[in-house]
Amino acid sequence: MNTTPKWIEPDTDEGANVLRLTGVWRLSNLAAISGALQSVAPGGENPYVLDGSGLQELDTAAGFILCRRLAPPGGGNLELTLRGFDPRHERLLALVRDRMDCPAAVSKPVHGGVLHRIGTATVALWKMLQSHVGFVGTVALELLTLMRRPRLFRFKETMAQFETICLDAIPIAGLVTFLIGVVIAYLLGIQALQYGANVFVVDGVGLAMCRELSPLLVAVVVAGRSGAAFTAQIGTMKVQQEIDAISTLGLSPVQVLVIPRLVAIIIALPLLVFVGYIAGILGGMLICAVQLDITPLTFLDRMHSVLPTSAPVVGLVKAPVFAAFIAIIACRMGMLVARDARSVGLNTTSTVVQSIVWVILLDAVFAIIFQHLDI
Amino acid sequence: MTVAAERPFTDSQEFVLEVDSVATRFGTAVIHDGVSFNVARGDVVALIGGSGSGKSVLLKEIIGLLQPSAGSIRLLGMDVWRGSLDEINALRRRFGMLFQDGALFSSLTVAENVAVPFREHTDLPVELILPLVGFKLSLVGLSPDVGGKMPAELSGGMRKRVALARALALEPEILFLDEPTSGLDPISARAFDQLVRVLSEGLGLTVFIVTHDLDTLLSIIDRVIVLADGKVIANDTVNKVMKLDNPWIRDYFQTRALAARKEGSDGT
Repeated sequence: MNTTPKWIEPDTDEGANVLRLTGVWRLSNLAAISGALQSVAPGGENPYVLDGSGLQELDTAAGFILCRRLAPPGGGNLELTLRGFDPRHERLLALVRDRMDCPAAVSKPVHGGVLHRIGTATVALWKMLQSHVGFVGTVALELLTLMRRPRLFRFKETMAQFETICLDAIPIAGLVTFLIGVVIAYLLGIQALQYGANVFVVDGVGLAMCRELSPLLVAVVVAGRSGAAFTAQIGTMKVQQEIDAISTLGLSPVQVLVIPRLVAIIIALPLLVFVGYIAGILGGMLICAVQLDITPLTFLDRMHSVLPTSAPVVGLVKAPVFAAFIAIIACRMGMLVARDARSVGLNTTSTVVQSIVWVILLDAVFAIIFQHLDI
Repeated sequence: MTVAAERPFTDSQEFVLEVDSVATRFGTAVIHDGVSFNVARGDVVALIGGSGSGKSVLLKEIIGLLQPSAGSIRLLGMDVWRGSLDEINALRRRFGMLFQDGALFSSLTVAENVAVPFREHTDLPVELILPLVGFKLSLVGLSPDVGGKMPAELSGGMRKRVALARALALEPEILFLDEPTSGLDPISARAFDQLVRVLSEGLGLTVFIVTHDLDTLLSIIDRVIVLADGKVIANDTVNKVMKLDNPWIRDYFQTRALAARKEGSDGT
């Protein structure tokens, strides 16, 4: 038959209110059933008799909304007489009635108003900054301990980290700086061509790459690669209680996890910055040869005579400072990871963002310092 | 607790799960070498075996997460590894799975976790979903105001109950449980067992439990399947299996007796 089922039909039978249930009372038909139930008044003084002889199927979801609809409003026991029900369905309804006294589930955690959230966020930020400073202090103390007892140094772990941070990053750092060298040379070249001052592009490329572009870009690449990796590794270890295990075995998590990474990245970043110099200068050399009629030999000759020693040295001085900040931020955020997967993701993102911001901030500070020192 | 009495509706021999000569090999390691058994509708069945005997691997194969190297698995009449993706996803709505530590989604609240099957697989409006979620939580013995908490804030026992509520959301015909009482204190473990039994009888659910827990076996299980050396070495009621003449089975069921004997000699 193609008629839509009536689901529930009221009837009277010897003075009692009978509700005849028909059809397939399942979750898939719940919307229709709920609609049909709207026409049924909740029970009260005259308890209902439910007739289930026409009921093909019944599941808990449908049983629940039936009982909920029939229950007297404002609490009170649901009085029902069942007749003609399959024993399975009777059992199911009994279970539903037993467990159904429940308000609707609370879904969202309660959020405060805007002002409340600003206040909470500010206090949280302040507390976080305090604990960051505490962490830096802990690392400094552990470094001092290391200097007094050099045997504590974990050479193999540091070398393993070094391989991941430095060797595996050479291709990408080289590529990025090469391309930036190309771009810088191209932009300078356009300007220089107008004044016939092609050859000064060489000076520009050398100075820009060494003093600013290579340290900055390589630091950003390393922050994204290794900073994120530190946070994710240490964060996952935190979730799996490995950090607790390290402490319980009488070892310092800072010595075991943080110091190898810190030392490795402080050695690695200057080396990568140097690779950046070479790649960047090669990029500039390519553009000069192609666009500005400066042969590679001329380029190198000019670079040799014009590039001040201070330029690459400045870059190599900045690099360890950037590296230290990246490592400390990354390890700190890793240690702060809470118990779930979402927290690992949030902290990894935060590491990369914080690292990049700090690197740029430090770069500005260095610029001012060097300017005052006339370097 | 005595073993459960004969179930009222396992009269029909409709098999909801048919595992036929399943073999699993990882490289040269052979995990299963011809595993066969059937599970009838309404049964509460346990799969036991030593650590490393491949119980969890078998469970993964049954629910369609890992493909066996040979053999077939028919779940609710459908071959799990021969259907199209749509057919398999439709099948997945007919059974519920409780993973060992709950596997709740850590970025959603409890209520949102239980609501996921409703949201993804039905068109129900929100006014119906929230009361249903509250009911499911109540069904597994949790207060509905647990709904606003995050999974990380719950104890292990509560996490498993929430996961059970989620597994029961779409009114499944079979419930798979992977070591449900592991990590629970004895009281919570027994309460969980009773919950499973009550739900199974009330809802007509078939239940398939992978477990190490002897108390579970002795309290709520109808049949037990014993997996050893890559094969099924026993498949019968708990009472009959306990009496089999197999060294591993004897040791397994003796552990309770050993503990009791030790206690007796210390106490008196």
